[in-house]
Amino acid sequence: MRALRIGMRRGWAEHMHLLRNRRELIGTLIGAVGFFALMLLWMGDRPVKGTDVSNATFMTAGFLAFTVFSNGLMTLPLSLVTDREEGALLRLRAVPGGIPAYLTGRAVTVLCQIALQSALLVATAVLVGGVAPPRDWLTLAWVLVLGTVAVVPLGAAIGCLLPSSKSGAGMVALPMMLLLVPSGVMFPVTAMPEAIQWVAQAFPLYWQGLGLRAAFLPDSMLVAEIAGSWRLPYVAAVLGAWTVAGMLLAPGLIRRMTRRESGSRLAERQLATQAA
Amino acid sequence: MSTAVSVRGLRMRYGAADVLRGVDLEIRRGEIFTLLGPNGAGKTTTIEILEGFRRRSAGEVSVLGTDPEKGGDDWRARLGIVLQNWRDHTRWGVRELVVHLSRFYDAPRDPGELLASVGLTEQAGQQVGRLSGGQRRRLDVALGIIGRPELLFLDEPTTGFDPQARHEFHLLLTRLAADDGMTVVLTTHDLAEAEKLAHRTAILVGGRIAVCGTPGELAREVQAQSSVRWIEDGRERVLSTPDPSRSAWELHRRFDGPVPGLEIRRPSLEESYLELIGRAA
Ligand SMILES: Nc1ncnc2c1ncn2[C@@H]1O[C@H](COP(=O)(O)OP(=O)(O)OP(=O)(O)O)[C@@H](O)[C@H]1O
Ligand SMILES: [Mg+2]
Repeated sequence: MRALRIGMRRGWAEHMHLLRNRRELIGTLIGAVGFFALMLLWMGDRPVKGTDVSNATFMTAGFLAFTVFSNGLMTLPLSLVTDREEGALLRLRAVPGGIPAYLTGRAVTVLCQIALQSALLVATAVLVGGVAPPRDWLTLAWVLVLGTVAVVPLGAAIGCLLPSSKSGAGMVALPMMLLLVPSGVMFPVTAMPEAIQWVAQAFPLYWQGLGLRAAFLPDSMLVAEIAGSWRLPYVAAVLGAWTVAGMLLAPGLIRRMTRRESGSRLAERQLATQAA
Repeated sequence: MSTAVSVRGLRMRYGAADVLRGVDLEIRRGEIFTLLGPNGAGKTTTIEILEGFRRRSAGEVSVLGTDPEKGGDDWRARLGIVLQNWRDHTRWGVRELVVHLSRFYDAPRDPGELLASVGLTEQAGQQVGRLSGGQRRRLDVALGIIGRPELLFLDEPTTGFDPQARHEFHLLLTRLAADDGMTVVLTTHDLAEAEKLAHRTAILVGGRIAVCGTPGELAREVQAQSSVRWIEDGRERVLSTPDPSRSAWELHRRFDGPVPGLEIRRPSLEESYLELIGRAA
């Protein structure tokens, strides 16, 4: 189909624009990878409490999970809002087949970003942190893919609901940060009170992290996991359930958002930003 | 089929505000049609209903033989659209964006020729976000005609154009209408532009079309009252009349000779337009 083909090229082009944009590039490299490298150097050598596994290995799985999560549920929704505010969405709406191409493009860009950042993280882990390469590549691959597929439609749905890029940034970043702490991606989840463990298990971030730890960490780490198991079938089931939820939510919300988009809404918002 | 756009009894209500209260329009194929009206008159609303971007409250609308609310991709491919407020794709290269959007059409214009026709050849490699306001607008116009539309909608396309760019833009539109038989519907605040460019113009005031016609018809319709001034008994007299030559002739008879200080003034199109808007508001 033509729209899908154009959408893929569009997504790749947007990805390249991000790479060419200095601010964006520095934000990604310093913000994500640089921070990770610092953390590795600072506390990577120490073992995770009560185990013989290095902090570096543990953090690698956690940062990977968070990269997927934040690209899908923060970067993607915010770029949808920005496209809406600048009129990119409306321009594509004026073109035959434009909306499917636009959505494909956004998904492809997010996938490219996730792939690039994940590769950089793993490379940093191996080179800077002396982390052994993942012991289970197959698990790494399917958890990354399923985790990505789980957050992309969900992120699109969230993007449709955000009122503006200004307020939207806070609205997605805050819950994200709150979720980061109890999800077991920074330190073992079993160190948390049990009630919080339950909350964390309702969201995809915990499961994504768990699946990635299964790929990186030896079974001796299982003492620090809930139920003392990698619970991979649950990882697949929960991430699958979030995928389905996102797929059910997103199309209706996207349709509503594009249908409501018009020139005077654009003008209204632009006036509002000028006034502010 | 010789009708491109047909609108009957179009109404649009936003909450309690009645913006369009029964608009009737008939736009013929191959004509350049301008829609004039004060800020907030509902020009953008009307045009967006025609583009299928907005649901109307009531009325019958047909654009290229299709109800815009039911128009699919095939219908959309026959339209070109230039909106009032685009600031998108700032990170794309000018040429890159043109090429990208051309891919959506079966027989698009050549990107290079298209950029040349709107005077953006030198900017082809530049980022869209670095263009000046007028250049940006020209790019919007180029993107509007990239798919060789049968019908082109432009919402205030010449805002921010310098005189030369405006002149070239008029030539471009006239050429497109003449050579390709493209129908052009545009909104503007510039009366001179409408007068110069349009085959027909409609003035939208108070939610209705106040007048609609060729520049000549429009002038006759809105310039109903001319003023005749003269001096009588040492005082200046003024008479408003639809037929100034007749008044002058009558005065001439009454004075039985030259009328002192006789002056006949037809209001400019702009004055008439302002008066018309004042009357309808
Ligand atoms: N989505 C909306 N919700 C509520 N009111 C709206 C909406 N869009 C437009 N309006 C109102 O409808 C009226 C007509 O707006 P419109 O944008 O069609 O005018 P316009 O003739 O294009 O004006 P301008 O010359 O300033 O571009 C205005 O009073 C505007 O405030
Ligand atoms: Mg307008």
